[in-house]
Amino acid sequence: MSKEVRIGVYICHCGGNISDTVDIAKVKEAVKNFKAVKIAETYEYMCSNPGQQMIEDDITKHKLNRVVVASCSPRMHLDTFRRVLRRADLNPYFLEMTNIREQCSWVHDSKEKATEKAISLIRGAVERAYYLEPLIPSTMPVKKDVLVIGGGIAGINASIELADKGYKVYLVERSPSIGGHMAQLSKTFPTFDCSACILTPKMVYTSQHPNIKIIDMAEPIAVKGSPGNYKVSIKVRPRFVDKGKCISCGVCADKCPVKKPSKYEEGLKEEKAIYLPFQQAIPNAYVIDKEHCLYFTKGVCKICQRFCKGNAINFDQKEEIIELHVGAIIACTGYDQIDPSPFGQYSFALHPDIITNLQFERLMLQGLHRPSNGKPPQKVAFILCVGSRCSENSTKGVEYCCKIGCMNAIKHSLLLQKAFPEAEPWIFYTDIRAHGKGYEEFYAKARDHNVRFIRGRAAEVVPNGDGLLVKAEDTLLGMQIEEPFDLVVLSPAIIPSAGTQELAQMLGVDLGHDAFFLERHHKLRPVDSKREGIYLTGCALGPKDVRETTSESMACASKVATFVGQGEISVSPEIAYVNIDKCNKCGNCIKACPVSAIESIPQGVEINSISCVGCGVCVPSCPEKAIDLRHCNDAQLTAQIHGICEDSGTSPRIIAFLENKAAYGSMDLAGQSRLSYPDNIRIIGVPSTGRVSSRHLLHAFASGADGIIFIEGDDSAFKDNQLREHVIQLKKELGAYGIESLRLVSTTTTLPQCDKVIDLFTTFNERISKIGRLLEEKRAKIRKALEND
Amino acid sequence: MKTETIHEITPKIQDSSFFTEVRKIAERTNFMDCMQCGVCSGSCPARFAMDFSPMQIIKMIQLGLKNIVLSSSTIWICAQCQTCLTRCPREVNIPLLMSSLKNIAIRENIPCKIELKPKFHKTFSEIIKKYGRMHEPELKIKLIKKTSPQDVFHNATLALRLLRKGKIKLLPPKTDQIPDILVLFETASKEEQK
Repeated sequence: MSKEVRIGVYICHCGGNISDTVDIAKVKEAVKNFKAVKIAETYEYMCSNPGQQMIEDDITKHKLNRVVVASCSPRMHLDTFRRVLRRADLNPYFLEMTNIREQCSWVHDSKEKATEKAISLIRGAVERAYYLEPLIPSTMPVKKDVLVIGGGIAGINASIELADKGYKVYLVERSPSIGGHMAQLSKTFPTFDCSACILTPKMVYTSQHPNIKIIDMAEPIAVKGSPGNYKVSIKVRPRFVDKGKCISCGVCADKCPVKKPSKYEEGLKEEKAIYLPFQQAIPNAYVIDKEHCLYFTKGVCKICQRFCKGNAINFDQKEEIIELHVGAIIACTGYDQIDPSPFGQYSFALHPDIITNLQFERLMLQGLHRPSNGKPPQKVAFILCVGSRCSENSTKGVEYCCKIGCMNAIKHSLLLQKAFPEAEPWIFYTDIRAHGKGYEEFYAKARDHNVRFIRGRAAEVVPNGDGLLVKAEDTLLGMQIEEPFDLVVLSPAIIPSAGTQELAQMLGVDLGHDAFFLERHHKLRPVDSKREGIYLTGCALGPKDVRETTSESMACASKVATFVGQGEISVSPEIAYVNIDKCNKCGNCIKACPVSAIESIPQGVEINSISCVGCGVCVPSCPEKAIDLRHCNDAQLTAQIHGICEDSGTSPRIIAFLENKAAYGSMDLAGQSRLSYPDNIRIIGVPSTGRVSSRHLLHAFASGADGIIFIEGDDSAFKDNQLREHVIQLKKELGAYGIESLRLVSTTTTLPQCDKVIDLFTTFNERISKIGRLLEEKRAKIRKALEND
Repeated sequence: MKTETIHEITPKIQDSSFFTEVRKIAERTNFMDCMQCGVCSGSCPARFAMDFSPMQIIKMIQLGLKNIVLSSSTIWICAQCQTCLTRCPREVNIPLLMSSLKNIAIRENIPCKIELKPKFHKTFSEIIKKYGRMHEPELKIKLIKKTSPQDVFHNATLALRLLRKGKIKLLPPKTDQIPDILVLFETASKEEQK
């Protein structure tokens, strides 16, 4: 360091919040003697205008090049004080804050101990400040094109919204036509809008939009690159029909000799091996089913080719891989229904008149009839919650509500009555959930129309001669009932569509406990994924109805437009970097990175500065110490650890490494709630506990620590299982120096769970007191080893 | 639920030993997970003979209505067929819950609405302890003695028919492993006390 380091320390009274418990004058005296400290000042309110002005003036007057503010939590005023430095022409990253309010004056009662702790915290901050480096946020250009994965109503809507705003959209759909599940529906609740009438115009608009390119029968197979610059490989399966030449005349299907159950009709009708998915399909072209076509299965036939007037059929079409270069990706891959067969009591698949609600939709459009004999159904039972709302450990069902079953059953009941006024719909429900606009009124209308509601989950469905017998308890009457029916309609639980997990892996985003995609924040960032530039929408995030899907997809389009529309993105400089000369290409860091930000290049590895979230998990994984993390580099962290441990005195010293967001926030909350914990515990905020390596722990033990706590935030990129592995590894490494594994604990917390953290602090402190302090000879041994290293 | 009001219920929830006792059982039966869907009650083949449905029993335990629960016929009628458990979406172990409630009722000497039921269970296990196997004529005779002698005639004709078909035997069965069976009983009661 060529220039002399000149540190100014500013200690805040916080109007008594700090000064009532901490002897500020004593702290000031102690701080003055710390390394490189040129000036130490105190003030009633450091964050007030005069307080800020004081720092600003001092920077010029005393030629300060580092500032340490000892006050409240950095979560509160970090930006305030960084602006002060910027105003004084000092790089804002030369600021270090230490938290002597939430972590000291608010949680400890003894003035002596609190003062002692404040001094030690400030010493840590000063030591760290000594090694601070100036940092400048960088920018990266963003590609304007967008990839939408999934062509259901969510994908169609998001594509149209973005295309209308002027962005180029690639809409990738796995099946031969866009439209998704909504294309299968008859009417929609609660307004009885004809589903096809509101959807097909949008499908046509999508196909004709100059900014939208539909890529059907295709799915992504690899995603590379970084936010703003994703390179996606798309595999396109052959249709064996030239979309440009096919005029959908249907002669081919007339002549085709092979029949198979239609997927669009939910198996209730048959179609030919060369088929049009449905009349309004987009693209409106026939497609050959390779699994059933005689030419592909037996090598004969080709009769369709002979009769096709437009010469559209081409058996030589091959699978293709297309490369797309996009700025953002939207995943809206929708849902599937579970198979009700494992629920033996409902006899699904044992009787043709026991169907799912999606099959009922198709029956409505085919002309409502009983699949067994084609006669109109007179008495229909709708059984809700088949496989929904099960226990957490259920192997057959899911824990959550399907969200559409109730309204769907009511819609079907009313449609049934419209088709056959004499018909008797019965709904067996657990709870009717009418949460949306107009839904409660819809429910009331059904009651008014004499739809019979039985509050009780149906117990069993028994085929009984020509009909079906449904047994259930009417829980409101407390009576068992047994009724004969013509048709039984099950509402199966909703699950993420097949392949969601693979897609999540490819995109580097998380799945939730329910196996749906996980949003960045449940309330505030509901369509963002954990990875920048990748957005989620529709039923891929969780069950929802058409209206909700529509609004969500529009919200998503808006977020994407903001992201790609800014032209370039600013990148936090607090990220990892590689010293390429030291890299031995072992690839450990690539495996360790939780956000797939590290890629291998010929010379070694490269960290993508946009994808990198700065967690620092890769740093300890590098055997060559080729990686380091800016603003929390080895020198800074080690210096801070030394500073905090130095004065450990006679009582055992415990260092708690807290992840900077949720975990650190939870201890701020503990302070705000005036909870209390042992004062020999000192907290160090880190980007993630995975950044702390065994070397840091050895430094801590060498300079006076007796126990280490790791607390990770639950929404951190560094996940539970990784933390567990990390801690096991660290314990092993510490064991080599004779440090008991009981001296290290770890846990994960959410921000509100400060009670849990404090419990851990207290019990761990008791444990360390029982084990006693680390022997001085062991410390000496570690020190020696660290010197030789 | 004629006598207890919610005001009576509330303090019981807070400190009733019954509630804590059942809570212990709850760890094994998950009964706090019950969402009152009614699958158990709709499935129960013995429901017609019960005064409360299994679902209502769970709700009443959740509210701490000890007397109604322990004096109900439901806990004694339950045939342990496990249909409810198989179908319960929340995997509440109702059969286990019912037998645990039976044990509490016996321990606390709470009379059952169907007088015969607790007697039946007691006599049944006594006979098993004695012979190591069931001896139906003795069971029937003991139960008749303990209840009303009115149906002696009806039972006698039934017994004759069963005897003729070889369904029951006059002499009790013989086993030489009665000590082993007693160990089973002992272990079970120890388990219960835990």
